[in-house]
Amino acid sequence: MAIGESVPMLDSAARVTGAVQYMVNLQLPNMLVGKIVRSSVPHARLVRVDASRAEKVPGVVAVLSGADLGPQAIYGVAIKDQPVVALDRVRFVGEPVAAIAAESAEATEEAASLVEIKYEELPTVFDALAAIQPDAPVLHDPFPNNIFKHAKLRHGDLEAALAAADEIFEDTFTSPPAQQASLEPHVTAAQWHSDRLTVWTASQAPFMVRKVLAEIFGLAPEAVRVIVPSLGGGYGGKGHVRIEPIVAALARKTGGRPVKVVLSRTEEFVTVTKHAATITLKTGMRRDGTFAARRVTIYWNGGAYADASPLLVPAGMVRSVGPYRIPVVWADSYGVYTNLPPAGAYRGAMSSQTTWAYESQMDIIARKMGWDPVEFRLKNLLRSGEQFATGETLHDVHFAECLEAAVRGLEPHPPPPGAQRRVRVGEVRRGRGFAVMMKSTVAASKSQARLQLSAGGVLTLFTSTVEMGQGTHTALAQIAADAVGVPLSVVHVVGPDTAITPFDSTTSASRSTSMMGSAVMVAGKELRNKLIALSVPILEAPAEVLKAEHGHVAGPTESIAYADVLRHHGLATLEASGEYATTFGIDPESGQGVSTPHWHQGAGATEVEVDVETGKVTVLRYAAASFAGRVVNPRLAQLQNDGNVIYGLGPALFEEIIFDGGQAINPNLSDYMIPSFRDIPFELKSLCLESEEGELHGIGEMTLPPVAPAIANAIEDAVGVRIKDLPITAEKVLRALREKEG
Amino acid sequence: MTVLKANGVEREVDAGTRTLLAVLRDSLGLVGVKEGCGIGVCGTCTVLVDGEPISSCLMLAAQAAGQDIVTIEGLAREGQLHPIQQAFIEQGAFQCAYCTPGFVLSAVALLAENPSPSADEIREYLSGNLCRCGSHLNIAQAVIAVSQSDGL
Repeated sequence: MAIGESVPMLDSAARVTGAVQYMVNLQLPNMLVGKIVRSSVPHARLVRVDASRAEKVPGVVAVLSGADLGPQAIYGVAIKDQPVVALDRVRFVGEPVAAIAAESAEATEEAASLVEIKYEELPTVFDALAAIQPDAPVLHDPFPNNIFKHAKLRHGDLEAALAAADEIFEDTFTSPPAQQASLEPHVTAAQWHSDRLTVWTASQAPFMVRKVLAEIFGLAPEAVRVIVPSLGGGYGGKGHVRIEPIVAALARKTGGRPVKVVLSRTEEFVTVTKHAATITLKTGMRRDGTFAARRVTIYWNGGAYADASPLLVPAGMVRSVGPYRIPVVWADSYGVYTNLPPAGAYRGAMSSQTTWAYESQMDIIARKMGWDPVEFRLKNLLRSGEQFATGETLHDVHFAECLEAAVRGLEPHPPPPGAQRRVRVGEVRRGRGFAVMMKSTVAASKSQARLQLSAGGVLTLFTSTVEMGQGTHTALAQIAADAVGVPLSVVHVVGPDTAITPFDSTTSASRSTSMMGSAVMVAGKELRNKLIALSVPILEAPAEVLKAEHGHVAGPTESIAYADVLRHHGLATLEASGEYATTFGIDPESGQGVSTPHWHQGAGATEVEVDVETGKVTVLRYAAASFAGRVVNPRLAQLQNDGNVIYGLGPALFEEIIFDGGQAINPNLSDYMIPSFRDIPFELKSLCLESEEGELHGIGEMTLPPVAPAIANAIEDAVGVRIKDLPITAEKVLRALREKEG
Repeated sequence: MTVLKANGVEREVDAGTRTLLAVLRDSLGLVGVKEGCGIGVCGTCTVLVDGEPISSCLMLAAQAAGQDIVTIEGLAREGQLHPIQQAFIEQGAFQCAYCTPGFVLSAVALLAENPSPSADEIREYLSGNLCRCGSHLNIAQAVIAVSQSDGL
C-alpha cells in the first residue's frame, strides 16, 4: 500500500537543488519582457492615455491600452465588471492602465515612465460600511448601493427565538485586508499562433483561466491552452483569474512573439488581497448554556471588482455560523465594492474571518455565563446525524474529537529548555485559549483523471490538479498506485496542461485529495477492469474469477504481469478515465440545501504569555488538530497542518495591508511582516484525525482559522482584555489593558 | 567586464550596475537562486560569498569579483547531494520549495560557523529566511540531523 506512507515528494531532489522549473524560469524563443503600467489614483475618469512616447523607446515592441480593446474585454468569474486594461475609468490605485512588451526589462521601465495618463479624479470610498451609505460614490452603475452580492440564510423564526432567549450577546469583530504573500509572485507568459492562444501561468485554476480567456477573445475554449508548472505557493492568491487576461492581450500585439510578466512584490499587494470583513454576531442563549438563535451580518470589502467574491460571499455565509447546535439562524453576507484592490481567496478562505468572530464570541459567552470554554464548546458542538443551519444532515463530523485532541496537546509538562532563555522585563502573565472551525469545500465541482499504463510498465497520471507545495502530485500518485495495484516507483504525474490533462474545477478549498483522489480511484478501477477483460483470453478464465492486483492479473491457476497483458495484445498503452463530481448547492433566498459534500474540521489550543507593560503577546505553545478522514501521506499532512498554524500567526498577530487614501503604504516584506522562525512557538504540534469510514478529506486549511481566536481567547484568560479587531498587536493589547485599568 | 567565480568556475560577465542576483540568473544561468522580496529581508536569494550567506538582491555583482560564490547548484559533489540537502529530503523540510535553496545555503553557513547549534541558535540564524508554507519545524530538524548537537 502506498496510501498511508510518508514517502518524500516525488521531485524532492529537484526541490533541494533549486531545479524545480517555476514560471520565473520559463524561457521561450524570442520572448519579450512585459510590464504593467498602473493607476496612481484610486478613482478617476481616464481623460487620456498617450503611449506615443513610450512606443518610441528603443526595444519596445508593443504598448497595450484601453484603446486596443472593445467592450468584450470586460471579464469576471461571476460578474463581468473588470476591464482587461482600464477603458475609461480607474477604480483603485494599482489598476492596470497600460502594458508594455519590450526586448529588455530596462526598456519596459523607461517606456512605462513615458506613458502619459490624464485623470479626472472622482470621489472615493474605501470602507465597506461607508460604501453602502446612500451618499457614497457608486463604483459600478448596475449596483447603486455598491452591494454586488447579498447571500441570505433563513433557518427558523429568528424574532421569536431571540425573544425567548435568556441572554443576548451582540459583538462586532473585524479583520483587515492582508496579503497571501506567496514567495513566488504572479507570473504569466502568453503567445499567440494566429487565433490560438497558449498561456503559461502560475495559477491554481487552469480551466477557469481557459474559460475566461476564451470569453474575452471570442475563442472556443479548446483554442486556448493553459499550462501550469509547479507553483512557489498559492494560498488562494493564485486562484481564479489574475494577470492572465492582460498578458494575453499584450501578447496579441507582438506579432506572435511570447511575452512574460513577472510581478514585483509591490504589485503583489495590489493584485489580490484577503477580504477585509466586519462581522456582527447577535446570539441568544438559554440559561442552561444552549443556543437559542444566532443572527450573523457580514460586510466583505470586495475592492473595486467582484472577482471571485460572488462565489466566496455565499460560501463565507455558510462558514460564518459555527460548528454548534443552533436551532435558529439568520445570516446576511454582503459583498461590497470599494476603491481598494480586488479581494480573493486567502488560505482558509472566508473562514479565517468568520472563525475569528464566532470563536471569539464563544469565549465571551462562556465567560459571562460561567462556563469553562472547553466544556461549553463540547456541550454545544454538532455531532454526526445532527442538522446544520442549512438544513443538511451532518455526516462524519468530529469537531469534539478535534477539540479534545488539541486540548490534550497542551497537557501540562515542563516548558522546553529554549523557552527558558527568553529575556523577560516586567510582569508577564500566561493564559490558555481554544478554538474550533467548520468550513465547507466547493459545493458543486468536478474532477477528471486519466491513467495510462504502458507496455514498459509505467503508469502515468494525467491530472489538472496544481502542485503548489502541498504535495498533491505525490499524494495523487500514491492513490493511483494503490488504485491500479502497482508500486509508487512506476507512477509518473503529468499536468496541468489543458491541451493534455482532463478537466478539473480548481485547486482550492482543500478539495484535491478528496475530489481528484476519488477521480483517480474511479480511473484505477476502470483500468483494472480493462486489464481483466484483456486477460480473459490469455488466462482462459472468466472475468469474474480474475483479480488485478500487485501488478498482475491473477486467475485460479496462472497470473500475468500487467505489461505482458499489453504486449500480448500488441498494445503500447492502455488508458482509463475517471470522474468525480458533486452537484450540491443552496437556495439563494433561504440558504437551505446542501452546501458541501463534507465538512472541513479543525481545532487549536494555545498557551500565550502577555507582557502587561508592553502588551506584547508571545505564543508559547500551540497544539492543532484537523480531521483528515483518511491520511494519504502523514508527513505531507503534518507539514500542511503545521504550516497552517505558522501561516495563521501572521494575520493573527501582525499582518495588515495599510491603505492611506487607497494607496497601500506597506507593500513590501519589510513593512508588511510575515512569520519567521522567531515568531513560531517553541512547542508546536499538530495531529490528523482519521475515521473508520476512511473518506478522503482535504487538510489544506483546517488548522489556520482557529489560530487568531485561540490566541485572543488565551489573552483574555491571561489578562482579562478582549481584542475584537485583527491583528492583535501589542499596541491594541496595551490600549485595552490601560482602558481596563481606567 | 568582471570575472566572477561561481561554484568554482570563473566566467567573464558584464556586471555594470546589475545585482549579483540578476547576473547569476540571467548571465550565468544559475536559476536556482530567486528573488522573493527584492529588498534583502526574505532570504530567498541567499547565496554564499566567501562562505557568508548574503542577499544577492542587494549585492552588486561587481562587489563579488574575486570572491568565491556558491549557489544551490554548487553544493552537490560528484552527483552526491550535500548532507544538508539529503537531510532536507529525509526530514521533509520543504513544501513549495521556493525558499529552499536559500534555507539550505544558510544552514550550510550556520553549521560551518557553529557545528553544534542549539535549537534557539538555529532559529535565530535562520530567521532571515522566510518560508510562507510553514515548513520550519522540519527545517530545524534537518539542521539538527546534520549537526553534532543533540537538538537542545
